[in-house]
Amino acid sequence: MRRDIESTSPTAGGGWDVPASPSPWQRLIGEDGLQKWVFYVPIAFMVLFFAIPMTATVVWSVFERTQFWMEPGFTFSAYENFFTSARVENYLSSMIHSAWAVVICFVLGFPVAVFVRRRVPRVAQHRVILLFILPFMISELVRVFAMRPVLGRYGLVNSFLMDIGLINEPITVILFSPLGVIIGDVLSFLPFMVFAGFLAMEAVQLYVFEVCDDLGAGTVRTFSDVIVPLAAPGIFAGSVFIFVNSLGVALVPIILGGPGAVNAGLIVNQAIVALDFPLAMAISTIMIVTLMALLYVGHRLFDLTKILEPIN
Amino acid sequence: MRDDYSSKLGYGLKWAYLLSIVGALLAPVFHIVYISFNEHGFSARIYEFTTDWYRVVLGDIMLVASLKWTFYLALSAVLTAVPMGLLAAKLYKRTQHKVAFVTLMLAPLFVPADIMASSLLVFFRNANGVFELLGEALGWEWLTHWFELGFLTALIGQILYTLPYAFVIILITMSRYHPQQTEAARGCGATGWQAFCQVEFPQIRAGVFSACAFVVILSFNEATRTALLKGGFDTFANVLVSQMLNVGMSGESYAMAGIMSIVAITVIGGFLIYTLIQSGRLERVARAKADPLMSS
Repeated sequence: MRRDIESTSPTAGGGWDVPASPSPWQRLIGEDGLQKWVFYVPIAFMVLFFAIPMTATVVWSVFERTQFWMEPGFTFSAYENFFTSARVENYLSSMIHSAWAVVICFVLGFPVAVFVRRRVPRVAQHRVILLFILPFMISELVRVFAMRPVLGRYGLVNSFLMDIGLINEPITVILFSPLGVIIGDVLSFLPFMVFAGFLAMEAVQLYVFEVCDDLGAGTVRTFSDVIVPLAAPGIFAGSVFIFVNSLGVALVPIILGGPGAVNAGLIVNQAIVALDFPLAMAISTIMIVTLMALLYVGHRLFDLTKILEPIN
Repeated sequence: MRDDYSSKLGYGLKWAYLLSIVGALLAPVFHIVYISFNEHGFSARIYEFTTDWYRVVLGDIMLVASLKWTFYLALSAVLTAVPMGLLAAKLYKRTQHKVAFVTLMLAPLFVPADIMASSLLVFFRNANGVFELLGEALGWEWLTHWFELGFLTALIGQILYTLPYAFVIILITMSRYHPQQTEAARGCGATGWQAFCQVEFPQIRAGVFSACAFVVILSFNEATRTALLKGGFDTFANVLVSQMLNVGMSGESYAMAGIMSIVAITVIGGFLIYTLIQSGRLERVARAKADPLMSS
């Protein structure tokens, strides 16, 4: 490193030349000038285009609806519209489907994280986790779309089951149904449970498993009494992510749900198409409040900052 | 303690399970790519290899135009989100309010695309109205079209989507960097910029380039936010969505999905292979340094 520094700007004693007195321009763009503030650009961006619009969503949700837009006012008619229509039932049923997706992702994905942390040699652990990056990086749109020829009446699953003689007629309940939506959610968001679970498991020292083994704890007891409590922050963060996205990503019910399938994201989309902006904002507000409440409860219970320990 | 590898069958079964999960996630995508090369399309009894569907897609002027917009958007997202991710990661290291900072930076990950896009849509329309009023009042016409739906608003949506990923990737790489090295460079008289360029950046370069690869792919794949915020142009993913919903599953849409998958697999797969080779090489170098006798 030292050699690198000296070779780029050699001075008599090594190191860099330091100008005796910087010009006003240099002072303006220097470390105590603009350079200091440039680090705050991402915060300013996030506040301006994320925090403010999200907060303003609450305000817009109580605006009056006009024919094509909305105008300032204070009314709960958008909320009334939501809570007194079939939308609330759809919202609740999509919450149940999302909860199922979380449970299935946990059952399928978390053991992978535990296995990689516990049994795979340390040098190879990150490489194995990288395997899950590839499916995650293929467009969600394509992954969801790709489920159609797999789950369809003449798709891969039905063809295979009929070829081996397990079924005589195609199973139709796995596509254009709530089950199809759950399958789509699981395949879309499963890698998140693996990532979050692995991140949480990284904070668990390997000797913990050795102690459990030495004390004769069985696999189930070790899992339920030791692993799950220690990895709880990661499991919770992964679960919230999957739950909220299952609830809010409209693409899955549109492509795999068939007629009548909805979730919160789709209801928002439909409200925007109908130019009912206060209603769209009201549902967004309900989603944001749900998310904040979940994160708050999770943080109180499990201290979610623990997930960041490996990074710190 | 139980020997981890005492039961070869159990160990093998766990590996088989892990690989089957990866396979289950990837199989539908490979299936779609496979179908996209069939002359007769989906569910045909005969399979005849053809690249005709791809020719149709790449010969379609509208689709090529949408590919161009997608490319411009991805390039702009990389040029803005990655430097911002880098700045944010550097600020995170020195800030005392780490929890609040990281919450703000990662929060967009937890807000579903449709919710964020609709909030931004309303925000931009309101902002545009305010700027129009201001422009008219002050007689400054250049103020009036700032937040009209178009390339800039779509780009802002994409930056919001990709910035948390860029931030996390760079932050993870940065966690292995010792800030004392920067202090040492400063002690030798280097400016902050020189210390960053010549001492820190070479060590976090891998993270920055990975962030670029991820942002390109995330931007290329993004459809929901762009659909609401883009104004008068179409991206490739938007055209695919509208084809799927309006026309249904045609050979052309399979080929479009195939293009999106092949691009993602090539970029991210290439990056993963490069990372594995590099980490293997670094490991060998480290081992050789630690034990020169054994390594020779």
